[in-house]
Amino acid sequence: MRRTFGQSLSLYGGVLVIALAIGLPFWWVLTGSIKLPKEIIQRVPTMVPHSFTLQHFEKLLQASDFPIYLFNSMVVALFSTAFTVLLALPAAYAFFRMEFPGRNALYKTILLAYAFPGVVVLIPLYGLFAKVGLIDSPVALVIVNVAFALPFSIWMMRSFLATVPREIEEAAIVDGAPTTTILVRILMPLIAPGIASVAIFAFISSWTEFLFASVLIVSDVRRTIPVGFAGIIGQYQIDWGLLLAGATAAIIPVVALFALVGRWFVAGLTDGAVK
Amino acid sequence: MKNTTLAFAFVSPALLFLLAVLGWPLVQAAILSFQDVGVIGSEGHFIGLGNYATILGDAGFWRALGRSVVWVLSNALVQTLLALAAALILNQKFPGVRIARTWIILTWIVPTVVVVIIWRWLLSPSGGMINPLLIQAGVIERPVGFFATREGAMTTLIMINSWRWFPFTTLMMLAGLTRIPGDLYEAARIDGAGTFQRFKRITWPLLQPTLMVLGVVGTLLSFNVFDVIWLLTAGGPSGATQTLPVLIYETAFKGYRLSEAATISVLTSILLMGFAFLTTRAMTAAEADR
Amino acid sequence: MMGPTRFLTIAGFAATLLAGTAYAEPVDLTVWHMEQPPHRVQRMKELLDEFNAAHPDIQVKQEPQSWGEVYAKAPAAFAAGNGPDLLFTIPDFTTVLKGINVVVPVDDLVKDLDSKHGFVEATLAPYKYDDHVWAVPAYNMAISLWYRNSVLKAAGVEVPKTWSEWQAAAEKLSTDGKSGIGLPANKQLYTDQTVYSFMVNSGAGDLYNDDGSIAFDKPETVKAYDFYSKLAKFSPADNSTWTWGEAEACFANSSCGMILQFGVINTYETQAEGDAADLGVAPVPHADDESASATISYSNAIMLTTKDEAKQNAAKVFLTWLLEPANYGRFLTMEPGLFLPVTNDGAKAESFWSDKTVTKYKSQVETMIANSQTGKLFGFTTGKVFPSIGAISAQNVIAETLQRVVVDGQSAADAARPGRRVCPKSPPNSGHAGERS
Repeated sequence: MRRTFGQSLSLYGGVLVIALAIGLPFWWVLTGSIKLPKEIIQRVPTMVPHSFTLQHFEKLLQASDFPIYLFNSMVVALFSTAFTVLLALPAAYAFFRMEFPGRNALYKTILLAYAFPGVVVLIPLYGLFAKVGLIDSPVALVIVNVAFALPFSIWMMRSFLATVPREIEEAAIVDGAPTTTILVRILMPLIAPGIASVAIFAFISSWTEFLFASVLIVSDVRRTIPVGFAGIIGQYQIDWGLLLAGATAAIIPVVALFALVGRWFVAGLTDGAVK
Repeated sequence: MKNTTLAFAFVSPALLFLLAVLGWPLVQAAILSFQDVGVIGSEGHFIGLGNYATILGDAGFWRALGRSVVWVLSNALVQTLLALAAALILNQKFPGVRIARTWIILTWIVPTVVVVIIWRWLLSPSGGMINPLLIQAGVIERPVGFFATREGAMTTLIMINSWRWFPFTTLMMLAGLTRIPGDLYEAARIDGAGTFQRFKRITWPLLQPTLMVLGVVGTLLSFNVFDVIWLLTAGGPSGATQTLPVLIYETAFKGYRLSEAATISVLTSILLMGFAFLTTRAMTAAEADR
Repeated sequence: MMGPTRFLTIAGFAATLLAGTAYAEPVDLTVWHMEQPPHRVQRMKELLDEFNAAHPDIQVKQEPQSWGEVYAKAPAAFAAGNGPDLLFTIPDFTTVLKGINVVVPVDDLVKDLDSKHGFVEATLAPYKYDDHVWAVPAYNMAISLWYRNSVLKAAGVEVPKTWSEWQAAAEKLSTDGKSGIGLPANKQLYTDQTVYSFMVNSGAGDLYNDDGSIAFDKPETVKAYDFYSKLAKFSPADNSTWTWGEAEACFANSSCGMILQFGVINTYETQAEGDAADLGVAPVPHADDESASATISYSNAIMLTTKDEAKQNAAKVFLTWLLEPANYGRFLTMEPGLFLPVTNDGAKAESFWSDKTVTKYKSQVETMIANSQTGKLFGFTTGKVFPSIGAISAQNVIAETLQRVVVDGQSAADAARPGRRVCPKSPPNSGHAGERS
């Protein structure tokens, strides 16, 4: 099919607008992080840097534990992702493919978990974690992240499970395969895109979580990226260069990760459903 | 499929986990709401419904509720429009579409704190990028303060939050769009339906389930947005962006009225539960119709 | 003859025995401070390493926190039994923690240190109430007026001393897109501080009446708000989001002619011209009918927050060490040209004045110290401290009132009339705190 000139124009115009709206801020941050301090706070800003320096990154590495924050964030996010998927998958299957008494009520209960502002559970959770000795432990963060990602993850699986024709399962049952086998052998490959999107959702939720990480973690060596980053925002001075370098350093790892799995994830999410 | 034991075995880990991590603290919050605890860690006494009377009679609570409604509706509107436009574009075939589909998510994978710093810097009239750009384009004459007025602050926050979330919504919609069989469009084209007709007759109705889900979840998610608002305006100027989560945090940690904060939390939760309950029921009904 | 193995065993045994008697297990101390910028953490680490090496029986470690979170985090941590042993503080924060009974009085230690080094009384006063001293002052910060000599000269302006001179100066300095003065209007601590530095200069320094009611709508306060909002018109449009950093950046890139700030030296040195002769600092101007300038000063201090006696003693050893002039100067210069000494010895300490930046900006630092002598702090001016100051400060009531004038266009008199939120009922535990002391 061919597009008319007008259609092409609006299509590429739209693409350009999206690219600019999303890309420009990041361009400014990236280029800002290598400008000399004077150029950063200049009254008339420059689109393309006129100066080049790595001093902000040097300062960042020298004076803060950014690599450690990065490592902590990765560990917490990976464990959060794994546990979210492990809990969400069977639950979603039971909710959307099985019949059992109280199914609807239980499903709604889980969804209701989303109705609570995180701020509400912060204080009681702190007390709970303190009792079991989990303050200042990444385990506490994993627990919180899984709890907040789980309801949406279960819900997300719903539409993916819906795309799998029931006949496939029914055929398997006729063959006498037990339910767990159906789930693992037959369904898993079919809903792989769904699992991928749940995993990404859980990973990113954990990667960006700030409120709980800032209160539950006490020592510097266990901080995650968002909290570590908040730490370099000075109380009485703002070093924009350092902040932009920190922002760049916080962005690049997820971007790198996304460069690896992102294409597969989005393609799986969108093309997979058609098959 | 019937296998009750197995079904419960599948559901219970997730359920018990949520009960322990979210349900139990919620009960604690409810207990707290009947007491008079001030600073965290101090002793409280049972005072019955006193806090509820105070909060429900406080104009500040109702104003915050109103702002939350404005916040949720505006975010839903802006994000849905942006996401729908972006999803329709990304559903086309053009060189680089795969790259575009992947990287549109960029704003969502960046920690909120970083988003906040980026925009605080970009929007600042002294040294930020946006003001000179707008001046060059002739939109404004002198640098403006985006957070200086009540409406300006709210609008700017909504735009920033939408900037962060609309790509996520876009991907969800894109998934919904790709699930619409191509043959339908082909058939419509043969019938002579134009672009708009095809959108109205095929895309829009078949996208409804996706939009419904996104509407409900999006509402709950954006209602509970706290960090962006707190880190950018702290509810200001002059309370203009003080939504309910901000009010809860402020009451608990800045006003040292923990029990009152718990009361607002309970009221908020009841409200959201009601919303979630009604909408999911409407959705189930809508599905049953089809 | 004793075989080598046997000898080693005995020697080892003896060593263990010796260690066991001479020093027991080293006492671990955890310090929470809010000096989170990397270079300050680094300086703190150097000092702690040095202290720990010199005192093998005490091990002090730091956990930097941020002011933004610590108001929520510290009470929660103490309630859960995870609190630090030493906690940096400002006066209003102390009232909050004192309310949950975690602050240990340090009367004897302060008395001892006072006789040794001589505390500047103004830094001690905000921690002295209810018959005790609740924290050991560590460093002082006071707001001054900052400007460039060359800019004032070019505009034909003298350094303003009174409010009418100040307004004229701000007007003259507002040319070709530049702001005459950078004043914040954010709902944030910085604005509390700048507004209060107007209030002390119009005779409205006392926030409380004697009976604990809030004296907020008196004519002097209204006058301060009025003048502040007038002057704020000469500020950049985004001043409603400003914290300290934005004001400094505005000054550093010459967008702002003058600013009110604790210190700009470090930024001026590293991000602007760094010309010591051109950087001007003066007291905050006073209302025309007042005779002298005053300012807001923050006495930052360290609280003892452990019930364990061994830890308390170790903490006292550490604090004594920290305030020794030889170490104290290096502690202050973790942020050169911002933190001011709280002891007379400290003000003379070689370790302070020998710092590279302090040496270069010696005359400015001297002016800052002189200004800090006239410093007051809202809620801590009358010798009586009311627990509600914690909530007033944490909720930024002073700044929020300003926003009602600047953003909502209310008259200063209307805005200053306190409402329920503005004037919180004292927290239920306030009675407790009073009884206990």
